[in-house]
Amino acid sequence: MFKLIKLEFKKGNVIKYIRNSTVMTVVLLLFLIATAGSAGADTTSMGLYERSIINAAVELYNNMAYIVFTGIMLASFIVEEYEKGTISLMFSYPIKRQKIMLSKIFAVWIFNVAALILSKLFIYAILSALSSSIGISAEDIPFDSLMFWLDMLLSTVVMISIAYIGLPIGLKTKSSKATVVAAVLIACFSHGNIMGYTLLGNVYYYALLVILAVLFIFLSIYDIETKDVI
Amino acid sequence: MSYILQTNNLTKTIGGKKLVSNVDLHIKKGEIYGFLGLNGAGKTTVMKMITNLWKPTNGKVEVFGKTLTPQSYEVLKRMGSIIEFPKFYEHMTGYENLKLHCEYMGYYNHGSIENALDMLDLTNAAAKPVKNYSLGMKERLGIARAILCKPELLILDEPTNGLDPAGMKQIRDLLKTLCTEYGITIMISSHILSEIEGIANTVGVIHHGMMMKEISMKEIEQMSLAYIELSVLNSKKAAYVLSEKLGLTNFKIIEDGQIRIYDNHVSPQELSKMLVLNDVEIIAFGKKAETLEDYFLKMTAEVKNV
Repeated sequence: MFKLIKLEFKKGNVIKYIRNSTVMTVVLLLFLIATAGSAGADTTSMGLYERSIINAAVELYNNMAYIVFTGIMLASFIVEEYEKGTISLMFSYPIKRQKIMLSKIFAVWIFNVAALILSKLFIYAILSALSSSIGISAEDIPFDSLMFWLDMLLSTVVMISIAYIGLPIGLKTKSSKATVVAAVLIACFSHGNIMGYTLLGNVYYYALLVILAVLFIFLSIYDIETKDVI
Repeated sequence: MSYILQTNNLTKTIGGKKLVSNVDLHIKKGEIYGFLGLNGAGKTTVMKMITNLWKPTNGKVEVFGKTLTPQSYEVLKRMGSIIEFPKFYEHMTGYENLKLHCEYMGYYNHGSIENALDMLDLTNAAAKPVKNYSLGMKERLGIARAILCKPELLILDEPTNGLDPAGMKQIRDLLKTLCTEYGITIMISSHILSEIEGIANTVGVIHHGMMMKEISMKEIEQMSLAYIELSVLNSKKAAYVLSEKLGLTNFKIIEDGQIRIYDNHVSPQELSKMLVLNDVEIIAFGKKAETLEDYFLKMTAEVKNV
Protein backbone atom coordinates (compact mmCIF):
# COMPACT_ATOMS: atom_id res chain seq x y z
CA MET A 1 0.00 0.00 0.00
CA PHE A 2 2.83 2.38 0.87
CA LYS A 3 4.34 1.89 -2.58
CA LEU A 4 0.97 2.53 -4.23
CA ILE A 5 0.53 5.74 -2.24
CA LYS A 6 4.01 6.84 -3.31
CA LEU A 7 3.11 6.18 -6.94
CA GLU A 8 -0.08 8.21 -6.54
CA PHE A 9 1.97 11.16 -5.31
CA LYS A 10 4.34 10.79 -8.23
CA LYS A 11 1.53 10.47 -10.76
CA GLY A 12 -0.53 13.27 -9.22
CA ASN A 13 2.38 15.72 -9.34
CA VAL A 14 2.47 16.26 -5.59
CA ILE A 15 5.08 19.03 -5.91
CA LYS A 16 2.41 21.22 -7.49
CA TYR A 17 0.14 20.68 -4.48
CA ILE A 18 2.94 21.39 -2.00
CA ARG A 19 3.54 24.69 -3.79
CA ASN A 20 -0.15 25.57 -3.89
CA SER A 21 -0.77 24.73 -0.25
CA THR A 22 2.24 26.82 0.74
CA VAL A 23 0.87 29.81 -1.19
CA MET A 24 -2.55 29.26 0.39
CA THR A 25 -1.04 29.16 3.88
CA VAL A 26 0.81 32.42 3.31
CA VAL A 27 -2.39 34.10 2.06
CA LEU A 28 -4.29 32.82 5.11
CA LEU A 29 -1.54 34.12 7.38
CA LEU A 30 -1.62 37.58 5.84
CA PHE A 31 -5.40 37.67 6.17
CA LEU A 32 -5.21 36.61 9.82
CA ILE A 33 -2.50 39.18 10.59
CA ALA A 34 -4.66 41.88 8.99
CA THR A 35 -7.71 40.92 11.06
CA ALA A 36 -5.97 39.82 14.27
CA GLY A 37 -6.19 43.22 15.94
CA SER A 38 -9.97 43.15 15.99
CA ALA A 39 -10.04 39.66 17.54
CA GLY A 40 -9.64 40.94 21.07
CA ALA A 41 -9.36 38.65 24.04
CA ASP A 42 -12.81 37.04 23.90
CA THR A 43 -13.25 33.31 23.88
CA THR A 44 -15.58 30.99 22.04
CA SER A 45 -16.58 27.40 22.66
CA MET A 46 -16.12 26.11 19.13
CA GLY A 47 -13.68 23.29 19.82
CA LEU A 48 -12.87 20.89 22.58
CA TYR A 49 -12.09 23.80 24.86
CA GLU A 50 -12.61 27.53 25.13
CA ARG A 51 -10.70 28.83 22.13
CA SER A 52 -9.59 32.41 21.96
CA ILE A 53 -11.04 34.30 19.01
CA ILE A 54 -7.71 34.29 17.11
CA ASN A 55 -7.32 30.58 17.83
CA ALA A 56 -10.85 29.97 16.51
CA ALA A 57 -10.18 32.13 13.45
CA VAL A 58 -7.03 30.19 12.56
CA GLU A 59 -8.97 26.94 12.87
CA LEU A 60 -11.98 28.22 10.93
CA TYR A 61 -10.18 29.65 7.90
CA ASN A 62 -7.60 26.88 7.67
CA ASN A 63 -10.18 24.13 8.00
CA MET A 64 -12.48 25.67 5.41
CA ALA A 65 -9.62 26.26 2.98
CA TYR A 66 -8.34 22.72 3.34
CA ILE A 67 -11.76 21.11 2.95
CA VAL A 68 -11.89 22.76 -0.47
CA PHE A 69 -8.25 21.89 -1.15
CA THR A 70 -8.98 18.24 -0.30
CA GLY A 71 -11.91 18.35 -2.71
CA ILE A 72 -9.62 19.66 -5.44
CA MET A 73 -7.13 16.87 -4.80
CA LEU A 74 -9.87 14.22 -4.72
CA ALA A 75 -11.06 15.53 -8.07
CA SER A 76 -7.58 15.35 -9.52
CA PHE A 77 -6.39 12.07 -7.96
CA ILE A 78 -9.59 10.05 -8.28
CA VAL A 79 -12.44 11.58 -10.26
CA GLU A 80 -10.23 12.76 -13.15
CA GLU A 81 -9.04 9.19 -13.66
CA TYR A 82 -12.65 8.29 -14.47
CA GLU A 83 -13.20 11.48 -16.45
CA LYS A 84 -10.12 10.95 -18.63
CA GLY A 85 -10.42 7.17 -18.83
CA THR A 86 -7.04 6.40 -17.25
CA ILE A 87 -8.88 4.32 -14.63
CA SER A 88 -9.16 1.57 -17.30
CA LEU A 89 -5.38 1.52 -17.38
CA MET A 90 -5.17 1.40 -13.58
CA PHE A 91 -7.63 -1.49 -13.46
CA SER A 92 -5.64 -3.42 -16.05
CA TYR A 93 -2.83 -3.83 -13.52
CA PRO A 94 -2.48 -6.98 -11.44
CA ILE A 95 -3.61 -5.16 -8.29
CA LYS A 96 -6.90 -5.38 -6.42
CA ARG A 97 -9.08 -2.47 -7.49
CA GLN A 98 -10.05 -1.69 -3.88
CA LYS A 99 -6.37 -1.41 -3.04
CA ILE A 100 -5.84 1.03 -5.92
CA MET A 101 -8.79 3.15 -4.77
CA LEU A 102 -7.71 3.06 -1.13
CA SER A 103 -4.18 4.14 -2.09
CA LYS A 104 -5.68 7.20 -3.80
CA ILE A 105 -7.99 7.93 -0.87
CA PHE A 106 -5.14 7.62 1.64
CA ALA A 107 -2.72 9.63 -0.51
CA VAL A 108 -5.07 12.63 -0.52
CA TRP A 109 -5.95 12.18 3.16
CA ILE A 110 -2.35 11.89 4.34
CA PHE A 111 -1.26 14.87 2.26
CA ASN A 112 -4.04 17.13 3.47
CA VAL A 113 -3.88 16.16 7.13
CA ALA A 114 -0.11 16.79 7.09
CA ALA A 115 -0.46 20.02 5.11
CA LEU A 116 -3.23 21.35 7.36
CA ILE A 117 -1.29 20.60 10.54
CA LEU A 118 1.83 22.24 9.11
CA SER A 119 -0.17 25.20 7.89
CA LYS A 120 -1.78 25.75 11.31
CA LEU A 121 1.56 25.32 13.11
CA PHE A 122 3.23 27.80 10.80
CA ILE A 123 0.45 30.36 11.21
CA TYR A 124 0.30 29.91 15.00
CA ALA A 125 4.10 30.28 15.25
CA ILE A 126 4.15 33.50 13.21
CA LEU A 127 1.11 34.98 14.98
CA SER A 128 2.64 34.12 18.33
CA ALA A 129 5.95 35.72 17.35
CA LEU A 130 4.13 38.84 16.19
CA SER A 131 1.59 38.83 19.02
CA SER A 132 2.53 42.14 20.61
CA SER A 133 2.73 44.02 17.31
CA ILE A 134 -0.60 42.76 15.96
CA GLY A 135 -2.59 43.31 19.12
CA ILE A 136 -3.11 39.79 20.46
CA SER A 137 -2.00 38.33 23.73
CA ALA A 138 0.50 35.44 23.86
CA GLU A 139 -2.06 33.44 25.92
CA ASP A 140 -4.49 33.51 22.98
CA ILE A 141 -2.37 30.78 21.42
CA PRO A 142 -1.76 28.43 24.37
CA PHE A 143 1.10 26.24 23.13
CA ASP A 144 1.53 24.84 26.64
CA SER A 145 -2.01 23.50 26.82
CA LEU A 146 -2.55 19.83 25.95
CA MET A 147 -6.16 20.63 24.98
CA PHE A 148 -4.92 23.13 22.41
CA TRP A 149 -2.89 20.42 20.65
CA LEU A 150 -5.62 17.79 20.95
CA ASP A 151 -8.20 20.23 19.62
CA MET A 152 -6.02 21.18 16.67
CA LEU A 153 -5.20 17.58 15.71
CA LEU A 154 -8.77 16.37 16.10
CA SER A 155 -10.29 19.23 14.14
CA THR A 156 -7.73 18.63 11.37
CA VAL A 157 -8.54 14.93 11.07
CA VAL A 158 -12.29 15.57 11.23
CA MET A 159 -12.29 18.36 8.65
CA ILE A 160 -10.18 16.52 6.10
CA SER A 161 -12.31 13.39 6.56
CA ILE A 162 -15.63 15.14 6.03
CA ALA A 163 -14.36 16.56 2.73
CA TYR A 164 -14.72 12.98 1.41
CA ILE A 165 -18.51 13.26 1.54
CA GLY A 166 -18.23 14.90 -1.89
CA LEU A 167 -16.30 11.96 -3.40
CA PRO A 168 -19.28 9.71 -4.29
CA ILE A 169 -20.95 12.71 -5.95
CA GLY A 170 -17.86 13.20 -8.12
CA LEU A 171 -17.62 9.48 -8.89
CA LYS A 172 -21.30 9.20 -9.73
CA THR A 173 -21.24 12.20 -12.05
CA LYS A 174 -17.67 11.53 -13.24
CA SER A 175 -17.12 15.24 -12.86
CA SER A 176 -14.20 16.85 -11.07
CA LYS A 177 -16.12 20.13 -11.04
CA ALA A 178 -18.95 18.48 -9.10
CA THR A 179 -16.39 17.15 -6.59
CA VAL A 180 -14.96 20.61 -5.98
CA VAL A 181 -18.41 22.24 -5.74
CA ALA A 182 -19.42 19.55 -3.23
CA ALA A 183 -16.30 20.35 -1.17
CA VAL A 184 -17.14 24.06 -1.16
CA LEU A 185 -20.66 23.28 0.03
CA ILE A 186 -19.33 20.98 2.76
CA ALA A 187 -16.96 23.74 3.90
CA CYS A 188 -19.87 26.19 4.05
CA PHE A 189 -22.32 23.85 5.79
CA SER A 190 -19.79 22.74 8.36
CA HIS A 191 -18.58 26.24 9.20
CA GLY A 192 -21.25 28.62 7.99
CA ASN A 193 -23.76 30.65 9.92
CA ILE A 194 -27.31 30.85 8.61
CA MET A 195 -29.63 33.32 10.39
CA GLY A 196 -27.52 32.99 13.51
CA TYR A 197 -27.80 29.23 13.47
CA THR A 198 -24.54 27.33 13.07
CA LEU A 199 -23.35 23.77 13.37
CA LEU A 200 -19.83 25.01 14.01
CA GLY A 201 -18.36 23.34 17.05
CA ASN A 202 -21.16 20.79 17.38
CA VAL A 203 -19.21 17.65 18.21
CA TYR A 204 -22.12 15.27 17.50
CA TYR A 205 -22.66 16.84 14.13
CA TYR A 206 -19.00 16.42 13.20
CA ALA A 207 -19.00 12.83 14.42
CA LEU A 208 -22.03 12.17 12.22
CA LEU A 209 -20.30 13.73 9.20
CA VAL A 210 -17.18 11.61 9.72
CA ILE A 211 -19.31 8.46 9.95
CA LEU A 212 -21.10 9.56 6.80
CA ALA A 213 -17.78 10.14 4.99
CA VAL A 214 -16.50 6.68 5.95
CA LEU A 215 -19.80 5.14 4.86
CA PHE A 216 -19.69 6.97 1.53
CA ILE A 217 -16.12 5.82 0.90
CA PHE A 218 -17.15 2.25 1.68
CA LEU A 219 -20.14 2.49 -0.65
CA SER A 220 -17.91 3.90 -3.40
CA ILE A 221 -15.52 0.97 -3.39
CA TYR A 222 -17.13 -2.10 -1.81
CA ASP A 223 -18.32 -3.64 -5.10
CA ILE A 224 -15.70 -2.10 -7.36
CA GLU A 225 -14.12 -5.46 -8.23
CA THR A 226 -17.25 -6.66 -10.00
CA LYS A 227 -18.27 -3.38 -11.58
CA ASP A 228 -17.70 -2.65 -15.26
CA VAL A 229 -15.26 0.16 -15.94
CA ILE A 230 -17.27 2.54 -18.07
CA MET B 1 -6.75 -28.75 -28.44
CA SER B 2 -5.71 -26.36 -25.70
CA TYR B 3 -6.04 -22.66 -26.27
CA ILE B 4 -4.24 -19.77 -24.61
CA LEU B 5 -7.50 -17.84 -24.75
CA GLN B 6 -11.03 -18.96 -25.35
CA THR B 7 -14.48 -17.70 -24.63
CA ASN B 8 -17.57 -19.76 -24.13
CA ASN B 9 -21.04 -18.36 -24.81
CA LEU B 10 -19.76 -14.93 -23.90
CA THR B 11 -22.66 -12.53 -23.62
CA LYS B 12 -22.87 -8.93 -22.46
CA THR B 13 -26.06 -7.02 -21.88
CA ILE B 14 -26.12 -3.41 -20.73
CA GLY B 15 -29.38 -1.63 -19.97
CA GLY B 16 -31.39 -4.43 -21.60
CA LYS B 17 -29.38 -4.15 -24.83
CA LYS B 18 -27.42 -7.21 -25.90
CA LEU B 19 -24.01 -5.98 -27.02
CA VAL B 20 -22.56 -9.40 -27.77
CA SER B 21 -24.27 -12.74 -27.70
CA ASN B 22 -22.86 -16.26 -27.20
CA VAL B 23 -19.42 -15.46 -28.55
CA ASP B 24 -17.11 -18.48 -28.78
CA LEU B 25 -13.58 -17.72 -29.82
CA HIS B 26 -10.46 -19.82 -29.66
CA ILE B 27 -6.91 -18.54 -29.84
CA LYS B 28 -3.96 -20.88 -30.06
CA LYS B 29 -0.64 -20.17 -28.41
CA GLY B 30 1.80 -18.36 -30.65
CA GLU B 31 -0.63 -17.25 -33.33
CA ILE B 32 -1.87 -13.88 -34.51
CA TYR B 33 -5.64 -13.86 -34.30
CA GLY B 34 -7.41 -11.21 -36.34
CA PHE B 35 -10.72 -10.18 -34.83
CA LEU B 36 -12.75 -8.66 -37.61
CA GLY B 37 -15.94 -6.73 -37.50
CA LEU B 38 -17.52 -3.52 -38.64
CA ASN B 39 -17.64 -0.57 -36.25
CA GLY B 40 -20.09 -1.37 -33.47
CA ALA B 41 -19.98 -5.13 -34.14
CA GLY B 42 -18.90 -5.87 -30.56
CA LYS B 43 -15.12 -6.25 -30.87
CA THR B 44 -14.27 -3.83 -28.06
CA THR B 45 -16.95 -5.31 -25.79
CA VAL B 46 -15.41 -8.77 -26.14
CA MET B 47 -11.91 -7.41 -25.59
CA LYS B 48 -13.01 -5.51 -22.49
CA MET B 49 -14.33 -8.77 -21.05
CA ILE B 50 -11.12 -10.59 -21.95
CA THR B 51 -9.06 -7.97 -20.12
CA ASN B 52 -11.46 -8.13 -17.15
CA LEU B 53 -12.54 -4.47 -17.46
CA TRP B 54 -16.10 -5.62 -18.06
CA LYS B 55 -17.71 -8.67 -16.52
CA PRO B 56 -19.72 -11.04 -18.70
CA THR B 57 -23.48 -11.17 -18.22
CA ASN B 58 -23.27 -14.81 -19.29
CA GLY B 59 -20.61 -17.21 -20.39
CA LYS B 60 -16.95 -17.24 -19.50
CA VAL B 61 -13.48 -16.26 -20.59
CA GLU B 62 -10.64 -18.72 -20.15
CA VAL B 63 -7.11 -17.33 -20.25
CA PHE B 64 -3.99 -19.44 -19.76
CA GLY B 65 -6.24 -22.36 -18.91
CA LYS B 66 -8.04 -20.58 -16.07
CA THR B 67 -11.50 -19.10 -16.01
CA LEU B 68 -11.39 -15.35 -15.54
CA THR B 69 -13.04 -14.11 -12.34
CA PRO B 70 -13.17 -10.58 -10.89
CA GLN B 71 -10.22 -11.65 -8.71
CA SER B 72 -7.99 -12.86 -11.57
CA TYR B 73 -5.27 -10.27 -11.00
CA GLU B 74 -2.27 -12.50 -11.67
CA VAL B 75 -3.46 -13.20 -15.21
CA LEU B 76 -3.17 -9.49 -15.98
CA LYS B 77 0.57 -9.69 -15.32
CA ARG B 78 0.92 -11.95 -18.35
CA MET B 79 -1.17 -9.77 -20.64
CA GLY B 80 -0.52 -6.53 -22.48
CA SER B 81 -3.41 -4.58 -23.92
CA ILE B 82 -4.71 -1.54 -25.69
CA ILE B 83 -8.44 -1.17 -25.44
CA GLU B 84 -9.92 1.65 -27.50
CA PHE B 85 -7.52 4.59 -27.62
CA PRO B 86 -4.54 4.31 -25.23
CA LYS B 87 -4.76 6.67 -22.25
CA PHE B 88 -1.79 8.32 -20.57
CA TYR B 89 -0.94 10.72 -17.79
CA GLU B 90 -0.50 13.58 -20.20
CA HIS B 91 1.60 15.85 -17.97
CA MET B 92 4.21 13.11 -17.65
CA THR B 93 6.76 12.30 -20.34
CA GLY B 94 6.55 9.21 -22.51
CA TYR B 95 9.42 7.67 -20.55
CA GLU B 96 7.79 8.45 -17.19
CA ASN B 97 4.53 6.88 -18.33
CA LEU B 98 6.33 3.68 -19.27
CA LYS B 99 8.29 3.68 -16.02
CA LEU B 100 5.08 4.09 -14.06
CA HIS B 101 3.59 1.16 -15.97
CA CYS B 102 6.56 -1.04 -14.99
CA GLU B 103 6.12 -0.05 -11.34
CA TYR B 104 2.44 -1.00 -11.31
CA MET B 105 3.12 -4.23 -13.19
CA GLY B 106 5.94 -5.09 -10.80
CA TYR B 107 8.30 -5.49 -13.76
CA TYR B 108 11.90 -4.45 -13.34
CA ASN B 109 14.20 -5.17 -16.23
CA HIS B 110 17.03 -2.79 -16.97
CA GLY B 111 16.87 -1.30 -20.46
CA SER B 112 13.37 -2.59 -21.29
CA ILE B 113 11.86 0.92 -21.48
CA GLU B 114 14.60 2.14 -23.82
CA ASN B 115 14.16 -0.99 -25.90
CA ALA B 116 10.38 -0.55 -26.20
CA LEU B 117 10.78 3.13 -27.12
CA ASP B 118 13.37 2.21 -29.71
CA MET B 119 11.16 -0.48 -31.26
CA LEU B 120 8.42 2.10 -31.80
CA ASP B 121 10.76 4.91 -32.95
CA LEU B 122 9.99 7.04 -29.93
CA THR B 123 13.44 7.43 -28.42
CA ASN B 124 13.71 11.08 -29.45
CA ALA B 125 10.28 11.89 -28.03
CA ALA B 126 10.79 10.03 -24.74
CA ALA B 127 11.54 13.16 -22.73
CA LYS B 128 8.54 15.12 -24.05
CA PRO B 129 5.29 15.33 -22.09
CA VAL B 130 2.66 13.10 -23.69
CA LYS B 131 0.33 16.10 -24.11
CA ASN B 132 2.70 17.25 -26.88
CA TYR B 133 2.50 13.94 -28.76
CA SER B 134 0.58 13.55 -32.01
CA LEU B 135 -2.23 11.00 -32.27
CA GLY B 136 0.02 8.53 -34.05
CA MET B 137 2.79 8.95 -31.47
CA LYS B 138 0.32 8.25 -28.66
CA GLU B 139 -0.83 5.12 -30.46
CA ARG B 140 2.78 3.98 -30.82
CA LEU B 141 3.48 4.77 -27.18
CA GLY B 142 0.42 2.67 -26.29
CA ILE B 143 1.88 -0.26 -28.20
CA ALA B 144 5.26 0.30 -26.52
CA ARG B 145 3.50 0.13 -23.15
CA ALA B 146 1.56 -2.97 -24.12
CA ILE B 147 4.69 -4.90 -25.11
CA LEU B 148 6.93 -3.39 -22.42
CA CYS B 149 6.58 -6.12 -19.81
CA LYS B 150 7.06 -8.98 -22.29
CA PRO B 151 3.49 -10.28 -22.14
CA GLU B 152 2.58 -13.77 -23.29
CA LEU B 153 -0.69 -12.51 -24.69
CA LEU B 154 -1.24 -9.19 -26.39
CA ILE B 155 -4.77 -7.82 -26.81
CA LEU B 156 -4.83 -4.94 -29.28
CA ASP B 157 -8.04 -3.16 -30.11
CA GLU B 158 -7.59 -1.36 -33.42
CA PRO B 159 -3.97 -0.43 -32.63
CA THR B 160 -3.26 1.28 -35.91
CA ASN B 161 -5.96 3.95 -35.55
CA GLY B 162 -4.43 7.33 -36.23
CA LEU B 163 -1.33 5.93 -37.91
CA ASP B 164 -0.20 6.79 -41.42
CA PRO B 165 0.37 3.95 -43.94
CA ALA B 166 4.09 3.77 -43.11
CA GLY B 167 3.27 3.62 -39.39
CA MET B 168 0.70 0.90 -40.03
CA LYS B 169 3.24 -1.18 -41.89
CA GLN B 170 5.76 -0.67 -39.12
CA ILE B 171 3.26 -1.99 -36.56
CA ARG B 172 2.35 -4.97 -38.75
CA ASP B 173 6.03 -5.87 -39.09
CA LEU B 174 6.57 -5.41 -35.38
CA LEU B 175 3.65 -7.68 -34.51
CA LYS B 176 4.95 -10.36 -36.85
CA THR B 177 8.36 -10.13 -35.19
CA LEU B 178 6.85 -10.29 -31.70
CA CYS B 179 4.93 -13.38 -32.68
CA THR B 180 7.64 -15.27 -34.53
CA GLU B 181 10.70 -14.27 -32.51
CA TYR B 182 9.27 -13.85 -29.02
CA GLY B 183 6.39 -16.32 -29.26
CA ILE B 184 3.84 -13.73 -28.13
CA THR B 185 0.25 -14.63 -28.93
CA ILE B 186 -1.57 -11.65 -30.39
CA MET B 187 -5.25 -10.87 -30.70
CA ILE B 188 -5.74 -7.84 -32.89
CA SER B 189 -9.06 -6.33 -33.81
CA SER B 190 -9.71 -4.23 -36.84
CA HIS B 191 -12.33 -3.16 -39.30
CA ILE B 192 -9.64 -2.65 -41.93
CA LEU B 193 -9.32 -6.09 -43.47
CA SER B 194 -6.13 -5.54 -45.42
CA GLU B 195 -4.44 -4.72 -42.14
CA ILE B 196 -5.20 -8.19 -40.79
CA GLU B 197 -4.84 -10.15 -44.00
CA GLY B 198 -1.08 -9.95 -44.17
CA ILE B 199 -0.34 -10.95 -40.60
CA ALA B 200 -3.09 -13.12 -39.12
CA ASN B 201 -2.94 -16.90 -38.88
CA THR B 202 -6.58 -17.15 -37.91
CA VAL B 203 -9.47 -14.73 -38.20
CA GLY B 204 -12.67 -14.49 -36.26
CA VAL B 205 -15.52 -12.53 -37.77
CA ILE B 206 -18.01 -10.82 -35.46
CA HIS B 207 -21.14 -9.20 -36.80
CA HIS B 208 -23.99 -7.56 -34.87
CA GLY B 209 -22.55 -8.99 -31.63
CA MET B 210 -22.47 -12.55 -32.89
CA MET B 211 -19.49 -14.65 -33.85
CA MET B 212 -19.96 -15.55 -37.49
CA LYS B 213 -16.98 -17.73 -38.18
CA GLU B 214 -13.49 -18.60 -37.03
CA ILE B 215 -11.25 -19.72 -39.80
CA SER B 216 -7.55 -20.01 -40.50
CA MET B 217 -6.10 -17.95 -43.32
CA LYS B 218 -4.88 -21.19 -44.91
CA GLU B 219 -8.45 -22.46 -45.06
CA ILE B 220 -9.61 -19.23 -46.64
CA GLU B 221 -6.92 -19.61 -49.27
CA GLN B 222 -7.92 -23.21 -49.94
CA MET B 223 -11.62 -22.49 -49.96
CA SER B 224 -11.37 -19.44 -52.08
CA LEU B 225 -11.92 -19.59 -55.77
CA ALA B 226 -8.36 -19.32 -56.99
CA TYR B 227 -7.88 -19.13 -60.77
CA ILE B 228 -5.33 -18.22 -63.38
CA GLU B 229 -6.27 -15.40 -65.66
CA LEU B 230 -4.73 -15.28 -69.11
CA SER B 231 -4.70 -12.58 -71.75
CA VAL B 232 -3.72 -13.93 -75.15
CA LEU B 233 -3.86 -12.72 -78.72
CA ASN B 234 -5.62 -15.79 -80.03
CA SER B 235 -8.03 -17.29 -77.55
CA LYS B 236 -9.22 -20.09 -79.85
CA LYS B 237 -5.69 -21.36 -80.26
CA ALA B 238 -5.08 -21.02 -76.55
CA ALA B 239 -8.26 -22.98 -75.75
CA TYR B 240 -7.12 -25.74 -78.09
CA VAL B 241 -3.79 -26.01 -76.27
CA LEU B 242 -5.50 -26.03 -72.88
CA SER B 243 -7.92 -28.80 -73.73
CA GLU B 244 -5.94 -30.93 -76.16
CA LYS B 245 -2.37 -30.54 -74.97
CA LEU B 246 -2.92 -30.06 -71.25
CA GLY B 247 -6.18 -31.96 -70.91
CA LEU B 248 -7.89 -29.13 -68.99
CA THR B 249 -11.66 -29.02 -68.87
CA ASN B 250 -12.44 -26.38 -66.27
CA PHE B 251 -11.70 -23.08 -67.98
CA LYS B 252 -13.76 -20.29 -69.40
CA ILE B 253 -13.28 -17.73 -72.16
CA ILE B 254 -14.50 -14.53 -70.48
CA GLU B 255 -14.19 -12.35 -73.55
CA ASP B 256 -12.13 -12.39 -76.65
CA GLY B 257 -8.51 -12.85 -75.58
CA GLN B 258 -9.28 -13.42 -71.90
CA ILE B 259 -9.41 -16.87 -70.33
CA ARG B 260 -9.90 -18.00 -66.74
CA ILE B 261 -8.56 -21.39 -65.75
CA TYR B 262 -10.12 -22.93 -62.65
CA ASP B 263 -8.36 -26.31 -62.86
CA ASN B 264 -5.93 -26.36 -59.99
CA HIS B 265 -3.80 -29.32 -61.00
CA VAL B 266 -1.82 -27.38 -63.55
CA SER B 267 1.03 -25.17 -62.43
CA PRO B 268 1.47 -21.66 -63.91
CA GLN B 269 4.96 -22.67 -65.13
CA GLU B 270 3.68 -25.72 -66.99
CA LEU B 271 0.86 -23.70 -68.47
CA SER B 272 3.00 -20.84 -69.76
CA LYS B 273 5.59 -23.25 -71.15
CA MET B 274 2.99 -25.19 -73.12
CA LEU B 275 1.38 -22.04 -74.50
CA VAL B 276 4.72 -20.64 -75.64
CA LEU B 277 5.75 -23.96 -77.22
CA ASN B 278 2.52 -23.90 -79.22
CA ASP B 279 3.08 -20.32 -80.39
CA VAL B 280 0.30 -18.76 -78.34
CA GLU B 281 1.28 -15.18 -77.64
CA ILE B 282 0.67 -14.23 -74.01
CA ILE B 283 -0.10 -10.61 -73.16
CA ALA B 284 -0.77 -11.04 -69.43
CA PHE B 285 -0.69 -13.89 -67.00
CA GLY B 286 -1.72 -13.85 -63.34
CA LYS B 287 -2.94 -15.96 -60.45
CA LYS B 288 -5.96 -14.49 -58.69
CA ALA B 289 -7.75 -15.47 -55.51
CA GLU B 290 -10.60 -14.31 -53.36
CA THR B 291 -9.32 -11.87 -50.74
CA LEU B 292 -10.20 -11.81 -47.05
CA GLU B 293 -12.25 -8.76 -47.87
CA ASP B 294 -14.33 -10.73 -50.42
CA TYR B 295 -14.80 -13.45 -47.82
CA PHE B 296 -15.78 -10.99 -45.09
CA LEU B 297 -18.19 -9.07 -47.29
CA LYS B 298 -19.81 -12.30 -48.44
CA MET B 299 -20.28 -13.41 -44.86
CA THR B 300 -21.74 -10.15 -43.55
CA ALA B 301 -23.96 -9.85 -46.63
CA GLU B 302 -25.33 -13.35 -45.97
CA VAL B 303 -26.38 -12.25 -42.51
CA LYS B 304 -28.04 -9.14 -43.87
CA ASN B 305 -30.02 -11.23 -46.33
CA VAL B 306 -31.20 -13.78 -43.78
